[in-house]
Amino acid sequence: MGSLISQIQAVVAMNLRSLPQRIWMSLATLFAVAIVVAVLLAFLSMANGFQQTVKNTGSESLAVILRAGSQAELNSVITRDQVNLLSEAPGIVRGDKGPKVSAELYVTVDGIKRSSQTEVNLPLRGISESGISLREGFTIIEGRMFEPGKNEIVVGSSVLREFSGFELGNSLRFGKTTWTVVGVFEAGASVFASELWTDVRTLQSQFNRGSSAQVIRVALQQPGDIGAITEYIDKEPRLNMDVKTEAEYYQEQAKAMSDMIFFLGWPLAIAMALGALAGALNTMYNSVAQRAVEIATLRAIGFRGVSAFLGTLVESLVLAFIGGLLGTLAAFLLFDGISASTLGGSFTQIVFSFELSSDAFVQGITLAMIIGLVGGFFPALKASRVPVMVAFSVDP
Amino acid sequence: MSQKQLFELNNVNKSFTKGKEEITIFNGLNMSIKEGEFLAIMGPSGSGKTTLLNLLGGVDRPTAGDILFRGSPINNLSEGQLSKWRAEHIGFIFQFYNLMPMLNAARNVELPLLLKKLSRSQRRNSVDTALKLVGLEARAGHQPSELSGGQQQRVAIARAIVSDPTFLLCDEPTGDLDRATAVEILEILQLLNREFGKTIVMVTHDPAAAEYASRCLHLDKGEFIEKDLAA
Amino acid sequence: MTDTYLVLKNLTRNKLRLVLNCFAILIAFLLFGALGSLQHAFTAGIELSADNRLIVVNKINFTQPLPIAYVNKVRAIDGISKVTHANWFGAYYQDARRPMVGLAVDGDSYLDIYDNILLSDGGREAWLKERQGVIVGERMAHMHGWKVGDRIPISSNIFSQADGSTVWDMVISDIFRDKEPSADTNFLLFHYKYFIETQTFGKDWVGWMILTTEDSSLNERVAKAIDTNFANSSTETDTSTEKAFNRSFLEQVGSIGLIITSVIFAAFFTILLIVGNSMALSIRERTREIAVLKTIGFAAPRIFGMVLAESISLALIGGLLGLGVAVMLINGASSNPQLQSMLPNLIVPPSILIQALGYMLALGLITGIFPALRAMRLNTIDALNRG
Ligand SMILES: Nc1ncnc2c1ncn2[C@@H]1O[C@H](COP(=O)(O)OP(=O)(O)O)[C@@H](O)[C@H]1O
Ligand SMILES: [Mg+2]
Repeated sequence: MGSLISQIQAVVAMNLRSLPQRIWMSLATLFAVAIVVAVLLAFLSMANGFQQTVKNTGSESLAVILRAGSQAELNSVITRDQVNLLSEAPGIVRGDKGPKVSAELYVTVDGIKRSSQTEVNLPLRGISESGISLREGFTIIEGRMFEPGKNEIVVGSSVLREFSGFELGNSLRFGKTTWTVVGVFEAGASVFASELWTDVRTLQSQFNRGSSAQVIRVALQQPGDIGAITEYIDKEPRLNMDVKTEAEYYQEQAKAMSDMIFFLGWPLAIAMALGALAGALNTMYNSVAQRAVEIATLRAIGFRGVSAFLGTLVESLVLAFIGGLLGTLAAFLLFDGISASTLGGSFTQIVFSFELSSDAFVQGITLAMIIGLVGGFFPALKASRVPVMVAFSVDP
Repeated sequence: MSQKQLFELNNVNKSFTKGKEEITIFNGLNMSIKEGEFLAIMGPSGSGKTTLLNLLGGVDRPTAGDILFRGSPINNLSEGQLSKWRAEHIGFIFQFYNLMPMLNAARNVELPLLLKKLSRSQRRNSVDTALKLVGLEARAGHQPSELSGGQQQRVAIARAIVSDPTFLLCDEPTGDLDRATAVEILEILQLLNREFGKTIVMVTHDPAAAEYASRCLHLDKGEFIEKDLAA
Repeated sequence: MTDTYLVLKNLTRNKLRLVLNCFAILIAFLLFGALGSLQHAFTAGIELSADNRLIVVNKINFTQPLPIAYVNKVRAIDGISKVTHANWFGAYYQDARRPMVGLAVDGDSYLDIYDNILLSDGGREAWLKERQGVIVGERMAHMHGWKVGDRIPISSNIFSQADGSTVWDMVISDIFRDKEPSADTNFLLFHYKYFIETQTFGKDWVGWMILTTEDSSLNERVAKAIDTNFANSSTETDTSTEKAFNRSFLEQVGSIGLIITSVIFAAFFTILLIVGNSMALSIRERTREIAVLKTIGFAAPRIFGMVLAESISLALIGGLLGLGVAVMLINGASSNPQLQSMLPNLIVPPSILIQALGYMLALGLITGIFPALRAMRLNTIDALNRG
């Protein structure tokens, strides 16, 4: 009889070597754990991908200004006069060409979603040169920029991926007007990549919006600091506006959807994990029952109860760990990077990719190990208490 | 006691294929069993005793030859017909009792009666009678795990006789019991044979057990060496 | 004693295993019941819409307006019985972060088409007479504690009045119910005239039109007639059935159906693995007993039936428990006012209960069939000799 460590090593090795005798039960548990982990990771990577896209959009050094109470760009209306008044506000960066202010129009047009072949809402944003200069990371990756005054559109790279009909050179009809796609832009995996952009004045005239805008973006002198602008608006009776940093605006836009994914994903994963736990307990109790004589014999020749306990626990943990890895691998192969789209706060589509983060990976493996730990603990307790007598009782 | 033939085996062949190998157990075996006999079958391990019981019990079929039960062959009955035939005519007693662990003694005994159309009270009567006969009426409500080996075997005997079968097939019924308990069991079997006219075929290793039979056959390499013990 | 007793005894002989398996099955049917109801809640509105109702929207997108003149032009088209129109108001009450459904409509024609909206006696006349009148769904009124005669300020997150105010004063003329008790009544309707004359976004437009055809078989022809009528005009139209419109609207959120189906499938597959294996193990452990039963004279089909009865009972016990928990959960959730406003139709519909029963039987059959076949085909000689 060696030290406790070598006892445990011997018992663990014996357990694992006898696994093939319980191959089907063990595989069932392993796959059950794998499926649970894969489901969890699917939701987590969906939530993560969506959040990443939204987070990439919102800048701390820009403020988004909307008509009070309108909540989303789509709803807001801002007059030319209001834009001019706002340009005078303090706290805004002023360059050679005056204050860095972008008055934008935001209208919704139809697109066809490739995966479902159904009509969906896409945002057509009217924007000026100064507006584009506010967006860091904006680059034309194909074709060229639209020319002011012409019915020309540049499309975000995600639009091309998810929706049909927006390929470079295509003509689009919106009402009586025809537009041409002249370029494709990238905007750093942000919400903007799900948008169509055109010249703001052209859009105003073609959609009969006069000189009105819907949203104003301004460059902040002090990133994150909207205090000065808010104060200015509060004092000016002609302005009735809500100000947020762009980061905050998009966080709020995404909140409902992120919450839904989160509040759906975790309960589902936990419920399924409980089901898998039942399977793991079943398997491990069965393992202990099968090895009862073996365990009792070892106890009879002097092995300690703790070695039987750990032997069983390790078997369970190993099964769960392999299951967890398998589930992660499946999630990685099946979900990581797949593109999807959903409705954002402005009632238009936001394209995002499922993104498996290292955080999610850790959470998946943790869930698997919890199943293995709980599923192994109670059977292990039973194993450590197998009476030595069992070794001497022969059962036909 | 009538001396009509219960079983007649004509030129029975039995062989097993184990992988590519073919093992012949019986080659042209002939035997007959009379109604009311208590026949003991002895022989070394692997000589084919259990195989013979299986053939008689309609659990297994001969490779060639006929097994006649009261003059008509049973070897060409379908599985379903054989099941019915077994339920009607045979009581089985095994070496390891083979009781249902989740049923108490009375319900174990009642099991074969599920195969008959009987009322609840008829069934209860039969079970009571059978248990009384083996002297276990007091243990009717016990689970098998609460009974000793001898008691379990007595429950098994009660189960075998509860539906009043024509004959009993016993495969080493005392093989797992001590001498005193074995004697109890053998006395019950003898009683069943003498008082109730049950034909009994019993496989045993134990010469002392064979003493209780009226005839003893020694099986060796698929052949019989007969020895009449009729008292 | 009967076969049923035997099945029951077999089912309960390993109590721990029974509890674990029942629990696993419970989880599967809890998920099925809850997710199925959720999906039903999402799509219930679609199923309730009438077959002969069409929606006409701007071809660019349904958020773009239509000229009001189109209402009369459409009325002249063959095969149409009634036409009305509506505007999305972007309504909210006090808290802009909690938008609600509010439409500006032409009262008389709107109620003619949506005859599922039930007003109290005299309620319709009272509403039509009152310029600032609004009718509020039972559920919405209940949520805010509103009564007939209450004056309520309703804000718009889109429109403003000439003085820059975004709040409209309204008077509750009546509180309506729906013919279908489970239908959503969490919305309000007020007069188009009041809306269009006070807001500043032009005077001659509507959001969309709703019409009924004389018969649903005419739907396609009428839709085509409308869209060709306005083709190449400054405002082109896109006409579809209300059902199709609602369905594609729902599709915008994402493939909710696909996600729910996938999760349910994954859950069932997991439970199938667990319970199926456990059942197979149970029967394997009983090999000897089954051999004895067969030797005694139990016919193979009877043994087959007993094993199957056991697995189906197991599925039914776990499944019914799970369904019970799902019903409690959904009933609990649907009484939460916030969830109620998001998912007004959140109930466990009978169709889900029936489907669940079907799946329980299927689960029992699939998990039981192989062990049952094994038991039926079991070679008694091998099984007994192995002792
Ligand atoms: N199902 C079977 N398949 C192959 N061989 C068998 C089978 N049953 C019995 N045998 C062989 O037949 C021989 C006789 O077996 P058995 O009748 O059980 O002997 P006994 O009961 O006399 O000890 C043995 O050699 C055994 O290995
Ligand atoms: Mg034998």
